[in-house]
Amino acid sequence: MFTVEWLPMTTTRHRERTELLQGTLDMLILRTLILGPAHGHEIAKHIQRTSDEVLRLEHGSLYPALHRLERKGWLASKWDAHREHNRECKYYRLTAAGRKQLAAAESKWERLQQAIARVMAAAARA
Amino acid sequence: MTDHHDLDRELRSHLENEADEQRDRGLSAEDARYAARRALGSATLIKEDVRALSPWAAIDDAAQDVRYGLRLLKKHPGFAIVAALTLALGVGATTTIFSVVHAVLLRPLPYADADRLAMVWENVNLPQYTNAQNAPAPGNFRDWREGNSTFIDMAAARDGAWSLTDSGDPIRVAGEMVSGSLFRLLQVEAALGRTFTPDEDRGSPSVVLLGHGLWADRFGSDPAIVGQTIHLNDEPYTVVGVMPRGFRFPDPDDELWMPLGLTPDQLANHGSHFLRVVGRLKPGVTIAQAQAELDTVAARLAKQYPQTNAGVVGVTVISLPEQIVGDVRRPLLVLLGVVGFLLLMVCANIGNLLLARASARGREFALRAALGASRTRLLRQLLAESLLLAIVGGALGLAIAWWGMAALRWLAPADLPRLDNIALNGWVAAFNAAIALAAGVICGVMPALHSQRRDLHGALKDENRASAAGVRLRARNLLVVVETALGVVVLVGAGLLLRSFVRLSQVPLGFKPDGVLTFRVVLPAARYRTEPQRTAFYRQFLDRLHALPGVQSAAAITSVPLAATGRITGVSMEGQPAMAPGDVRLVRLVDFRTVSPGYFSAMSIPLIAGRDVAWSDTNTTEPSIVVSETMARTFWPGQNAVGKRVKAGAPDNQTVPWLTVVGVVGDVRLVDLIRTPRPAMYVPASQDRATGDVLRDWIVRLSGDPTAIVPSVRSAVWSVDPTLPVTRVQTMNHAKSASTASQQFTLLLVGTFAALALILAAVGLYGVTAYNVSQRTRELGIRVALGARRATLLRLVLAHGAKLTLIGLAIGMAAALALTQVMSTLLFGVGVRDPMTFVGVAVLLLAVSLVASFVPARRATRVDPVIALRTEN
Repeated sequence: MFTVEWLPMTTTRHRERTELLQGTLDMLILRTLILGPAHGHEIAKHIQRTSDEVLRLEHGSLYPALHRLERKGWLASKWDAHREHNRECKYYRLTAAGRKQLAAAESKWERLQQAIARVMAAAARA
Repeated sequence: MTDHHDLDRELRSHLENEADEQRDRGLSAEDARYAARRALGSATLIKEDVRALSPWAAIDDAAQDVRYGLRLLKKHPGFAIVAALTLALGVGATTTIFSVVHAVLLRPLPYADADRLAMVWENVNLPQYTNAQNAPAPGNFRDWREGNSTFIDMAAARDGAWSLTDSGDPIRVAGEMVSGSLFRLLQVEAALGRTFTPDEDRGSPSVVLLGHGLWADRFGSDPAIVGQTIHLNDEPYTVVGVMPRGFRFPDPDDELWMPLGLTPDQLANHGSHFLRVVGRLKPGVTIAQAQAELDTVAARLAKQYPQTNAGVVGVTVISLPEQIVGDVRRPLLVLLGVVGFLLLMVCANIGNLLLARASARGREFALRAALGASRTRLLRQLLAESLLLAIVGGALGLAIAWWGMAALRWLAPADLPRLDNIALNGWVAAFNAAIALAAGVICGVMPALHSQRRDLHGALKDENRASAAGVRLRARNLLVVVETALGVVVLVGAGLLLRSFVRLSQVPLGFKPDGVLTFRVVLPAARYRTEPQRTAFYRQFLDRLHALPGVQSAAAITSVPLAATGRITGVSMEGQPAMAPGDVRLVRLVDFRTVSPGYFSAMSIPLIAGRDVAWSDTNTTEPSIVVSETMARTFWPGQNAVGKRVKAGAPDNQTVPWLTVVGVVGDVRLVDLIRTPRPAMYVPASQDRATGDVLRDWIVRLSGDPTAIVPSVRSAVWSVDPTLPVTRVQTMNHAKSASTASQQFTLLLVGTFAALALILAAVGLYGVTAYNVSQRTRELGIRVALGARRATLLRLVLAHGAKLTLIGLAIGMAAALALTQVMSTLLFGVGVRDPMTFVGVAVLLLAVSLVASFVPARRATRVDPVIALRTEN
């Protein structure tokens, strides 16, 4: 098997783990953009901040996800001037399809969360 | 790509944003930049991941892999050339054999619904003669045809040859007399004109159909030939049509057809067996059903005509494709198997080469993995390289196959059916591509899987190399063992064929072929109607031949030995009890030939007792015969055969005369080399009243080169009769060789493959020994430093090679013992487990492998301890 133990974790990205998180990451990105258009850095910071720094989003995995979502038609992008600095950033915004996808993902996520919560509560009582 | 720039720009802006933020937290500008980079991770990887989203990514990657692979192959041309050539050889050889298998076995016959066509034979079982495919008698043909419900129709053919004297030198053309319904049954139309009408099958109208080849060669493809008259055996025939190109039935050399026109007398004859019968099965009827029904018909006929049919115990129905290729299927499949083994050995060899290179490339792959190349990407890279190899090897292989097919068409025995079908067609090309790719993938995947297992960190640091090398050595050892085992099987196969062939060449012929020339001149019955006319020609012509310079003797016979044809007749002895009808126990079958005086001495067949036939034996003197030693011994054991009498057929048959034995001669292989001589009898040519046979094959024994006399032989023939074609001109040695042509062909091919297999096995062992020595340089150096003798080192290294060879040999021998059974029908005088062959192969392989490992092993003894210890190995 191909193992990565011999390299420091910081310089490696674990592909399999990214795959596992992909659905969740997509949802987080869509959820973030419901507040309005944002560029990649803002999205990363927002997810990190709102999760009380629990989710330390690997910036490297963000961009493939953004491009993938755009390809699916859930996001649209546009180069625009940065609000503070004198530089252009690529701003992403939700499309109608993106909103629909977010709603579907959220309801699925809720069901899953409730189911897990019930299992955990039952396990605690036992 | 704009996408690419877009992403670059996006990532740059991300880094700037992040750096701004870090600076706001109080980091220096430089530290902030580094922190931003760390947080982002590898930009290259991100770009790769984004790029991979594009549908073009896979093609892009593949193109990159191919470019890289090409660069590598260019950088290591030695490796590339050796690997590609080895692969080309394996693929080319396999494709060549496949082209034959395809042409002969797989391509459908050119008849509509050919698998519903079947040949029908008599199944004869007599005490001294069994033949499951005996030529049917016309009476049996008629009764089968009328008494079955499984065939749509049956048709018969009778083999023949005719002298054609129109438009050019006289030639002899092979052809058939056929039932008028044959062409309808085969569903073949004439290309020009028409085939026969049902009327033409009755009586014997003088009409003829020409083969396409004869029409083109002899009549310049003249479409006006239809309706014209040509002369066959001096008699006029009207051409009614020309058959399509390639139509030859039932013999591959047939060039003309005329109506068989069996007379009512013939249709009632159950005792003369000279037809071939083909039928078309009704839809849904199987061969077995047809056979079962005709078997009951045959059983009824055996009761109805006990005198003639008691020995015909049934019929053999065999599908036409099976009839044509049945005999060659086994040898061809054996050849395909052998060449398949060779291809596997080629794969093992290339795998070995790639493994050797994998050790050199270990660091490259570790580095690429560390830089983030994924496992699949590395695998794909290796696959791309081996696929490139496969494409180059496959293309070269196709070239080799093209050449091989040309060589095969030239080398193949004339009796290999459907030979002219061998061609480089789509099927063959597809097969070539498929095996080249399969071989490439197998070769490529082995080291690829292997390289995945390695500890990349260790490889990078150069620490774990010894253990990685150990794994590689084990893999290479395994490949060498497999290769040796495969080689042993091929060598054993070749050895068995070689031993059979030697046995076959040592068969005592009973005559001396050296210096004998033979050719065929047949007198047309129309002009040589009586015995005195024929005898006059024989004597005059033999005198002319005798007069030619260098000729020691000249004679003639109905058919020369080893020609795979001839007559057999049932005879009874004077004094034997009369046979009850249907009692076949006393039927004695003997080979039967008509000869001129001097035949035995010309062929150097020893006269053991009595006298030769003579011109003074005529139709008015007492009928005489000369018999073979076996006939004398089995008919009259312990007695003098000379003076004894036999007759054709039953002892109480008053219509045929008694034949008196006047001489006894040595046994001769009359039909082929394989069959042991049956009893044989020879009738004088000038006493042909009972047989009606004419002399056809002429022989001259010369002191010098027999072929030098061919032109004077022709002019001698034409000086006596200018209308007679001279055919089948060959030396007796050539006839002998031709009778073993198919064995020679198989031996030649398997022998060539075996030689290649031996080379591959030797190269494989050489490679692994050389690798072993290079890996152990340090260890060997220490041993030398500690005082080990050079001979000890040599033994050490050789022992490793010998161990591999012995293991491979053992496995190969076991496999060969299991596999050679399939060759049993290809062998002659040698068992499939012939100990001589197995021992011989073992000795040969051990000797070759010793040499192959000795060369690199010698390097081990020259190890300089100082240098060896210093090199980091």
